Amino acid sequence: MKCEHIEELLSPYLENELSQEQKQTVAAHLKACSSCRELLSLLQEVSASLTAFPEVEISGELQNRLQAVPDKKKRFRLNLDFLIRPSLQPILAAATVLLTVVSFYAFNPNRGDINKAVERQFHTGYQKIEKLYVRAESFTNSLSGQKEILIDTIKTKNPLKREKE
Amino acid sequence: MLVNSYSKKIFNLAYQFAGNYEAAEDLTQEIFLKLYNSLPKFDFTRNFTAWLLTLSKNYLIDQYRKTKLEKTSRDEFDEHLLAADPKFDPETELLANESKRLVWEGFNHLSPDIRMAVILRDIQGKKYEEIAEIMTLPLGTVKSRVNRGRLQLARVLKDKKVGSR
Repeated sequence: MKCEHIEELLSPYLENELSQEQKQTVAAHLKACSSCRELLSLLQEVSASLTAFPEVEISGELQNRLQAVPDKKKRFRLNLDFLIRPSLQPILAAATVLLTVVSFYAFNPNRGDINKAVERQFHTGYQKIEKLYVRAESFTNSLSGQKEILIDTIKTKNPLKREKE
Repeated sequence: MLVNSYSKKIFNLAYQFAGNYEAAEDLTQEIFLKLYNSLPKFDFTRNFTAWLLTLSKNYLIDQYRKTKLEKTSRDEFDEHLLAADPKFDPETELLANESKRLVWEGFNHLSPDIRMAVILRDIQGKKYEEIAEIMTLPLGTVKSRVNRGRLQLARVLKDKKVGSR
């Protein structure tokens, strides 16, 4: 068997997890191969080192921080509950839309152009209103002219008056 | 109470995985925050310790990938980990500590999944079946990862020994 196959079996060999046949194969290979013997010895050293890693004590400060976690979480939950109240949802949705629109404007690199376009639209609208106002005024004038003509017509062609005559 | 029973276990897992004392303290606090948030979802038919270790393992590996924990250097193998073993004479102890230091540094060469499997098996002394439950992996995959991790650490040990001669 080649060294690379034996290498895969060294850990289970140390943990006594191989079949009798596999154990004999590995043992026979180890007798003949110094490189695999060295690897086995390194694996034993790694295993001994890892097993001997001590359990580290935690600091008093961390202990206090951990004791405070449930309170921290409770405060956080209260805030969250308040925010997710169903009655607030339409307001939050409207605020989201508003913030999106405002952010589109605020972070737009062509903000100057947007300002100009808005100003132009505003002026156009204002001019239209002015024109409408002038038209309305001229219509009022023309109506008052029509009113006088109508009164005159009524006066001259009054059927009651004619009957008397 | 949860904090008293599990804080040391979780902190040690985080420290062995991240290799940095302060980072491990922050990670432990985050894990406990996550634990309190996830408690309502706990299935009482499951083993609580295994469930907590799965949650911790997932968080640690996620953080490793998100924050590139591998780029933050591991602490020097110092007073946190140098526990004198009364079984050894001073010279043997010196050699053992040197091996432990090399293995500790060697963890940086292991991928997060392999590193976690080796920590659970060789430092925390879990059974392969328990690790398979914690890591939600088939038993064969767990054994293969532990095996690969040990072989990688053995090679790191060999290279560093050769380099220091």
